[in-house]
This record gives sequence, structure tokens and C-alpha cells, in this order.
Amino acid sequence: MDAGLIAIILGVGPAFAAYYLTAIGHGLFEKSGILNLAIDGVFTVGVAVAYVAALFAGTAVAGSVAALVVAVAFGLLIAYLATKLPISHGAIGLSIMFVGYGLAALIAVPIRSQINAVVSYPMNVGVDVAFIIFSIVIGVLVHYMLSRTKLGAAIRAAGENPHAASSLGVNVLRVRLIAGMLGYALIGLGASFYFLAYTPAPYSEGMGMGQGWIAFAISLSAGRHPILTILSALVFAELLYNKFVLQGYLGLSVHITKMIPYLAALVAMVIFMVTPLKRKLAPPRALGKIYFKEERTV
Amino acid sequence: MQGEVTVLVKDLVKRFPGVLALDHVRFELRKGEIHALLGENGAGKTTFVKILYGVYVPDSGEIYINGKRVIFTSPIDAIRHGISLVSQIPQLIGSLTISENIILGLEKFGMMASIRKVENYIREESEEVGIKVDPNTEVWKLSYTQKQLVELLRAVMLGAKVLMLDEAITFLPIREKRKFYKFMRKFASQGGSVILITHKIPEALEVADRISVLRRGRYVGTVETRTASIDDVRKMMFGERSAQITYERLPTSTPDEKVVLDVKDLWVMGDYGAFSVKGVKLQVRAGEVLGIAGVAGNGQLELVQAIMGLRKVSKGRIAILANGDLKDVTNKGTGKVRSLGTGYIPDEPLKFGVSMENNIEENLAMLPAIAKGIIKWRQVRGLANRLINEFKVVTPSSKTPVKLLSGGNIMKVLVARELSIAKKLLVAYNPTRALDEVTAVMVRKIIKEKVLKERLAVLLVSEDLDEIFQVSDTIAVMNSGRIVKTFPAEKAEREQVEKLMVM
Repeated sequence: MDAGLIAIILGVGPAFAAYYLTAIGHGLFEKSGILNLAIDGVFTVGVAVAYVAALFAGTAVAGSVAALVVAVAFGLLIAYLATKLPISHGAIGLSIMFVGYGLAALIAVPIRSQINAVVSYPMNVGVDVAFIIFSIVIGVLVHYMLSRTKLGAAIRAAGENPHAASSLGVNVLRVRLIAGMLGYALIGLGASFYFLAYTPAPYSEGMGMGQGWIAFAISLSAGRHPILTILSALVFAELLYNKFVLQGYLGLSVHITKMIPYLAALVAMVIFMVTPLKRKLAPPRALGKIYFKEERTV
Repeated sequence: MQGEVTVLVKDLVKRFPGVLALDHVRFELRKGEIHALLGENGAGKTTFVKILYGVYVPDSGEIYINGKRVIFTSPIDAIRHGISLVSQIPQLIGSLTISENIILGLEKFGMMASIRKVENYIREESEEVGIKVDPNTEVWKLSYTQKQLVELLRAVMLGAKVLMLDEAITFLPIREKRKFYKFMRKFASQGGSVILITHKIPEALEVADRISVLRRGRYVGTVETRTASIDDVRKMMFGERSAQITYERLPTSTPDEKVVLDVKDLWVMGDYGAFSVKGVKLQVRAGEVLGIAGVAGNGQLELVQAIMGLRKVSKGRIAILANGDLKDVTNKGTGKVRSLGTGYIPDEPLKFGVSMENNIEENLAMLPAIAKGIIKWRQVRGLANRLINEFKVVTPSSKTPVKLLSGGNIMKVLVARELSIAKKLLVAYNPTRALDEVTAVMVRKIIKEKVLKERLAVLLVSEDLDEIFQVSDTIAVMNSGRIVKTFPAEKAEREQVEKLMVM
């Protein structure tokens, strides 16, 4: 294989890491039963924070850490609100999404207007491979945690039926806070990789907006399963990363190449809904349902 | 050992929107005793044990465990004090395995503990309870009985000192019930205490040492079972209404010639790929109650579901009277069957009979027999209030979501609705299982009255032989998917029926 082709294939590394980590973070959080509509807003904040922090610290790692910390704060807030108060998850999620969009601009735009520089991760094939390996290792750990540990069982229990989970001995609030923390740590990390490794360009307002939704679709099309998400994230990342190649080689219109990832998501969802995977990959039963424990009477 | 007080409850008060569920309730549980807690539907029994299990927080009152005052804000607090609850509806999570369900309450396993660690532990302990299960089985694959046994296993593994059974054995087949009784006795003799909630007085008298009674959220009293009679307990539970309880046969109806439900050579597949109904033939005529007696799991459920168009018929024919002729409804769907004037009281009524999130009016209006196309809410409200009064449903209003009612009251809403729309035929599966005695007798009387006066045809499947004998005009015994014998009810002998059921 010639070096160019290898570069094209492996070059997807940063994009893959960004989408994959965000998607498994999203899946992990939703497994606990909270509808995660805030993802795109927090992703956008993550991009802004990563940009600013990396710039001031002079190292990209600082950007990732800062994005992770800020995202975790959001995750805890969402988990707390959605579990402790009888408010619709949709309302919480969408409100926080818009807060995120605004906050991102507030943080990054003033800096951008004063300093015209970007600190990013180094770009070469070695780094690309490192991103792929790092994110897959994280994915495997998340899968192990969800499927093999008591914490994982508690997260799934809270997502299936929080009332029953509580009577089985789960502290639903605590478990959802943990899920919010872990899930959003990955989302923050993913957002930082998106900016600092995949598309390091001078910051512009709204950067990263919409990418959270793509991660949402990646997670959904793999039924929130961390291992299957490797596949869906790879397909999405390749299609997005190589969209210009597709245009060039196949002569497709840009609108069509942009559509392809979503068509792929649709096909994936149809495939697992008509096969025995349906039960395995079913959404958590209590996803998005208000948890209010005093409601049954007499 | 007797005499030491394990749980002491003083002046417990709990209010829910529109209802005073517990009104200064007191209660005492001794070490080593089985203590039955009785009361009619909506008396507050479930609320009471849910408070002891930390699900609800009381508005006021005191709880002492072994003399020390405790405040529980979540079940894990109760579990730490050795209190466990098994409910009528298994509180296990279907998509999780048995091990996963159990490990969630075991505090000696940390959050990152591997689930595999608990498996061997479960294998050892399950001998104790007398069940054989693979801990890796996902819970949705288990039968109801197995789920309840897993709940019990869980309670034991949590190191329960106080075991609360909230109608947990009501739905179990008799043989499994006996196992539970034995287990409870052993548990108590080893220093544990049991709170047994039931609405069956004979069961309480047979199993318990003492009986406490709640009525409309108030504590009525406690009696020793050695000295109490069934009538004493009934009076405590129902007051003057206890006189309405009777197990005498209701008047026999002479069926018309007209056949309303005709089933011929019916073969229906069960859930596990084998035939559950094997060539059943039966007829129900206008003005007749055909009671099907049998031990649960002998194809009754599949038969009823097939008749209602809820399960595919592999072979045979089901026909229902329409405009003077028998109309073939085999595999035609529930809508068709119901449109011919059929009422249906399903098994697992909370799951298949009502929509829990909707209110009483909406639960009426959702049936085409009550409202078509555009709903006339005023009319529906009128019907709702009439049924609420007639069946004495305890509810703040007709606009209350049914999930806020007690189990027995939800059942009343369902039974009332189905009786009001059954014009020709009523298909009922254990229609009074969740009801207290007074209400159960009332429901049976209403059914019988409709049969006598309106010439309704009723197919009654029940695991309660008292019920079968009280209401039926004809009794059929079902065993292993077949109707093994049919008797005119007046000639049927209980012993013979019982023998045919288990043969």
C-alpha cells in the first residue's frame, strides 16, 4: 500500500477519537436513564475551553484537561437536575444546550479577537495511531465497566427502572452523578480532540456546533454499545474525514456526501431493529422519564 | 426468644395528595414471629411496608429497630438494618441477570467489584431457599414464581432479619406457597421476623402467630391467631360490612339454548414453542357462567388470549354470536372480538388491563365500546362517577391517574369498566385475585346478576376454587392443555375437581 493511502486511512485517527469518545460518553450517560439533549451545547463549550486553555497554557494537553473538567461540571449539573427534580429531561437538556452555545462564544470569541494563534496536538501518523489506540482502550474499559462491574449494573438498573433499582439498593442519584461525571468527561475529551487534533484552525464563533449531534447519532446507531460504537464511529469519521476525497473520486455533490453518514446511521438502526440485536441494543426503558419517588399512593 | 421487640412503630402518619394514607398507625413486631398485616384494598398496608423499607418518608411518627430510633430515607438504609421487602410485582430488573440484580444491594461488594464474584455465592445460598437457577440468566426469562423465589433469595443474601412479604405469595401456585410457608417458619425459628401482607384471612390464620389489621389508614388492633376466629378478623377488617362475605353458591342460572362462544378443536402455541392448548372444545351459552378450574400454567392463559385475539391460533375455530349467527373470529384480532360486545379482564391487569399513566376517565374512554371518534367527556365522566360509586373505588376524583390508586382499586376500575361494556360475553382471568373479600364477593354477585338478568355469557378462568364453585353454572377442569372433564356445577364435587386438576 502506498504511503498516501495509509495516511488517508490513519489520518482519520483524531476525528475518530473525537467522535468515538463523545459517542461512548453520551451512551454511558444515557444508559443511566437521562435523556442527553445537552450534548451539542456542552460539546461546543468543550471546544471553546480547549482552545482557550491550550492557548494560555501553551500545551494542548492542558486544553483537553480543562475541557474535561468543564464538561464534568455540566454532566453533574444535568444528572442532578434530572434526577432530583420532577422536570422534563428534554427541557433541561435543551436549556443547557443553549446555555452552552452562549457560553462558548463568551469564552472564546474575546480571546480570538486579541490573539491570532492556535496551540494543537502534533500532526503525524504516529499521533494518529496513538489517538486510535487511546480511544479504543477507553472504549474497552467503558464496556468492561458497564457489563461486568457492580457500577455498570447499577447504571443500567437506574436506566431501566429507577424505582426498582432504588428498592434493589441502588442510590439512583449517586449512580447518575457518576454516570454524568464519567460520560461528560469523555464528551469533554472528545470535544477537545475535535478542536486540538482534528480541525485546529483559528477559532470562529459556533465552532463544534452540530458535532455533538453527530456523536449522538453515532451512539444511537450502535445502540449505545461501546464496542459496536467503534464501528459506527469509524464509518462516520471516515465518511466525514474523507468527504472531499469522495467528492473528488466519485464526483458526488457535497450535499450528498454530507448526507451519507446519516443514511448509514439509519441503515444501521434498521438492521439492529429487525435482528435479535434488538433486545441487546434496546434503549434504556426509563430513558427520559421523570423519576419522582413519592408518586405512588395508598 | 418470643417477646423481644424487633420493630416498633409509633404514630406513623403519611399523606399523599388528596389522601391520608396512614393515620397515626402503630405496630409491633416481635423477634421470631410471623405477623400478618391485613386490611381491605386501600387500607394502607403497602404504604406502611414501603415506609419501613425506606421507599417513602413518613410525615410524622417514630420507628424503632431493636429499641433504637431510625430514620430511613432510601431502601439501602433499611437493607443496612436487615429489613427486606418482597412485593407482589417483582421489583427485579428484567434486562439484568440474577447476579446483577442481587449484587446491587450487597454492600460488601464495592462499586468496581466484578459481577462474577457474586455468582458462586449465589449458587451456595440458593440451596437454602430451594431454587435451582443459573445466576447468569437474565431475569426477563424467568417465570413469575422463579422471580419471586429470586426476590426471596435476595432478601436472604442481604442478611434480612425482618422479611416483609407484600402479597408476594398471592399469585403463586399452591405448591410453591407451601414452600414459602415452610421457609418463613424456618426463618422465624432462626430468629428472623416476618411481616406477611395478605387479604386471605384463612392464610393468615394458618401461617401467622399474630394478626394486625389496618382499616382506611388506621390501626384497628392485633390478635393472636391461637385465639382468633375468621369472623373476629373479618369484623376487624370490614366492620359491619363483614356480614356481606359469603362463600355460598350464588343462585344457579339456567342457560339459554343460544350459544354465545363456540370453541372447536383449538390448538394454541405457548411461549416456548410447544402447544399449550391441545384441542380444546367448549361452548358458553347465554345466561351461563362456565368456570374453568385448573392449576396455573395448564394452558388457561393461552386459551383466554387466543379467544381474545391476542395469541395466534394454530388450528381450530373460535366463533362468537353476532346477529343471531355464530361468526368466525379466529385470528381476527382483539378489535373484532370486542366489537361483538365482549368484555375482558386479563391476567396481569396492571400491565394489560389499564394504562397506568392515564386517569380513570381516560381509561374508560380508550375503549371503542365507550367512546368512538370524538370523545364526549361529559358522558365519560358520568359513567366514571357511576362506576366509582357502585364499586366504591377509593380515589380523590375521576381525573386521578390510576397509578396513584392502590392495586385493589385499580382492579376495581378495570372490572367495573369491563362489566359495563360486556353486552354478550365476558372473558375473565382471575377477576378477583387482587381484591379484598368484600369487594370480591361483590364483583362475583354483580357478574352473576348480569348473567341472570341480562343473559350474559361468562367464561371465567380462575385459580381460586372457591370462586369457581361460587359463581359457575358449569365447571370445566383444564389440565395439561386439555379440558379433562365438564360438570354441571350443582353436581360437581370439590374433591373430584381437585383430583382432576393435579392428575
